[in-house]
Amino acid sequence: MSAITAEAPADTSHQPHDHNDHHEVGFVQKYLWTYDHKMIGLQYLWTALAFLFIGGALALGVRWQLGFPGAQIPIIGQLLPSTVAVDGSIIPGGYNMLVTMHATVMVFFVVMPLLIGAFGNYLIPLQIGAGDMAFPLLNELSYWLYVLSGVILVAAFFVPGGAPGTGWTAYAPLSSVAAYNGTPMGQSLWCIALFVNGLSSIAGATNYITTIVNMRAPGMTMFRMTLPVWSLFITAILLVLAVPVLSAAAAMLFADLNMGTSFFSPAGGGQPLLWQHLFWFFGHPEVYIMILPAMGLTSEILAVFSRKPIFGYKAMVYAMIAIGFLGFIVWGHHMFVSGMNLTLSAAFSVSTMIIAVPSAIKTFNWMGTIWRGSIEFTTAMCFALAFVSMFVIGGLSGIFMASTPVDLFVHHTYFIVAHFHYVLFGGSIFSIYAAIYFWFPKMFGKMLNETLGKWHFFATLIFFNLTFFPMHNLGLGGMMRRIADPTVYEHLRQLQPLNVLCTIGAMGLGFSTFLFIWNVVISLRNGKKAPENPWHANTLEWTIPSPPGHGNFAKTPTVYHGPYEYSVPGMDKDYLPQNEPAPEGARLESH
Amino acid sequence: MSSAALTHDSNAHPSAPPAVAKFGMIMFLLSEGMLFAGLLGGYFVLRWSEVGFPWQTGHAWPRGEGVPALPVFLTSINTIFLVASSFTFHFAEAAVAKRKSGLAWLFVTIVLGSIFVGVQCYEWWHLHHEGLWFNTGGVYGSSFFVITGFHGLHVVIGVLLIVWCFLRQLFTKCFTPEYHPALANVALYWHFVDVVWLFVLTLLYYV
Repeated sequence: MSAITAEAPADTSHQPHDHNDHHEVGFVQKYLWTYDHKMIGLQYLWTALAFLFIGGALALGVRWQLGFPGAQIPIIGQLLPSTVAVDGSIIPGGYNMLVTMHATVMVFFVVMPLLIGAFGNYLIPLQIGAGDMAFPLLNELSYWLYVLSGVILVAAFFVPGGAPGTGWTAYAPLSSVAAYNGTPMGQSLWCIALFVNGLSSIAGATNYITTIVNMRAPGMTMFRMTLPVWSLFITAILLVLAVPVLSAAAAMLFADLNMGTSFFSPAGGGQPLLWQHLFWFFGHPEVYIMILPAMGLTSEILAVFSRKPIFGYKAMVYAMIAIGFLGFIVWGHHMFVSGMNLTLSAAFSVSTMIIAVPSAIKTFNWMGTIWRGSIEFTTAMCFALAFVSMFVIGGLSGIFMASTPVDLFVHHTYFIVAHFHYVLFGGSIFSIYAAIYFWFPKMFGKMLNETLGKWHFFATLIFFNLTFFPMHNLGLGGMMRRIADPTVYEHLRQLQPLNVLCTIGAMGLGFSTFLFIWNVVISLRNGKKAPENPWHANTLEWTIPSPPGHGNFAKTPTVYHGPYEYSVPGMDKDYLPQNEPAPEGARLESH
Repeated sequence: MSSAALTHDSNAHPSAPPAVAKFGMIMFLLSEGMLFAGLLGGYFVLRWSEVGFPWQTGHAWPRGEGVPALPVFLTSINTIFLVASSFTFHFAEAAVAKRKSGLAWLFVTIVLGSIFVGVQCYEWWHLHHEGLWFNTGGVYGSSFFVITGFHGLHVVIGVLLIVWCFLRQLFTKCFTPEYHPALANVALYWHFVDVVWLFVLTLLYYV
């Protein structure tokens, strides 16, 4: 059996004997309207990276204004729409738009599409040994709905009144009354964009769950699945249950703005607080939607480059399930200052702190995984290690806020901004970079340049901390979120040097991204050709050519054991692919 | 299409096998359920904090003078049509399973579904005439029109899907006892829309 599986990939590189192999398909069918999950994953990857630039540029606008309030933006300041900047300087309303659009773009159009759209699509069928997703057409529709929703959102900058400026949380009644926000059209487009984006997410999630449950290769039991697949499976369930609630809330907000309904308006018997409950019922599972896949991807990379099995594989899975479940009963911790019942606050405090338990299980298991491993410090591994340490910082500040009395003090300050950037950038984005460095050879058949990669890594790590660590101090010093000019407040003037420091860090962070782009460009052009299995990894995607052909596996693989059999006692080589039976005398971790 | 889909080789099939498609449909309906849970939950919270629960003293809904009451009797009759249409759809499926066309039952289902949509449209027109609309009657009007609007949209999509099934069966006779995933999934959707209606009816009209 092992002989067959070892030869099969070599076969495909010469002559793919796949029934529906598309020879000579046109540009549109290959790149724009394709049913191949790998190409759809790459569509997501490129589109979301483009949005990463939009979101990053918006963030730099925000940082520029906070570091140098009122100063003209060099070069591009004159090009900005009049709703954002006048005479090259950002105006307060425009600042709100930048903040809102930065957050909305990063959450819905960068992190989710990269983790779930790009890596979900690319990895799920490959790692479970399937030829494609269960519903390829739905998959492609999901991508184009995502593009459509992105166009609708960005269009908000160009309508009368400009983009929404109510924050990504769009709290009512600011968001629901045109006279308060002054941007009813932009806010309505925001609602439509999130509704359409929600359709895309649900289409994708439905597909992932169905694929993982029904289309695993022979021998691929649930507990032989890789942790990325497990994490995406749990994430997809969260998406199916949480996203429609945001769609309902967005529809209500749209109706309040345009049809005169009064869901969130006290004058008609509505409640502004209802928006917060609906939004955060979605919003907190959303937090885990953005971190669980990151945890899964990181786990894979840590195991491969430590040459050790995942420490506590099943505990990792159960911890993710626990996090997913608890994610639905903690939304009130975003609302401690909303005037919500204090007894309810206490309950939400407790449930939130309980989440620290499965999160800590994961963290200790990551440490157990690399403990005494023979670590290879590839760029992917560096980013994965940085993920763990940055996630710990963000996770620990999260426990502060779970406690109501502490939260009353730090809520709506930069302490919160520091916290969620440590989990969203230090967590999710770092793991995305790690995953790109790790799977790039499989995706494009070329290795990324390691030297440039290290430069990119250190620049990102240093500038990330330079940007966001001082925000803890700013927040504890009393600097509020969502203010366009800190210098107008007497008590914040002494903190202004820290704001300048953050802005310098942000510029460096923006610059570091160009190292990444440069690396991608030169590696695609002249990179070293990637072998089938450059990292000596065990999972099924590494048993086929880089990049894999249409239909993935020439012959449906058979799986004999779990995915993390590294350095197995009693074996010569230090890895054991999932489709190779263990030799006599090897002592496996998994069954 | 159908012959290729019947092969269970995951490397080759252009469309999912029937059981897999059904599983996917159930996942999709789960998310649809959460959409209506969000809408109805919001309505429940707003109404409860406005006037309290029905068994509490001083409960009156809708509050205020001159707000038109919903036509409960008409809607109850209309509900019978919708519930009946779920049964007729099931008979259509049963007919297909016995190697019959099922066209007659599908046609009856389309008629019943259309009647439901028609009566709902009349109801909207009637209430609008009486002065109740999205922007009047506060939360009462808002919730009624947004929730029945969302549900009505689902019914309309359902009727169109059944018409699509009907036409496919009429012209290509594509549904066989062994292979009729489109019909089975539209049926699931239709039953779901029906069950959601019972929740909407209870919360908006009866309580």
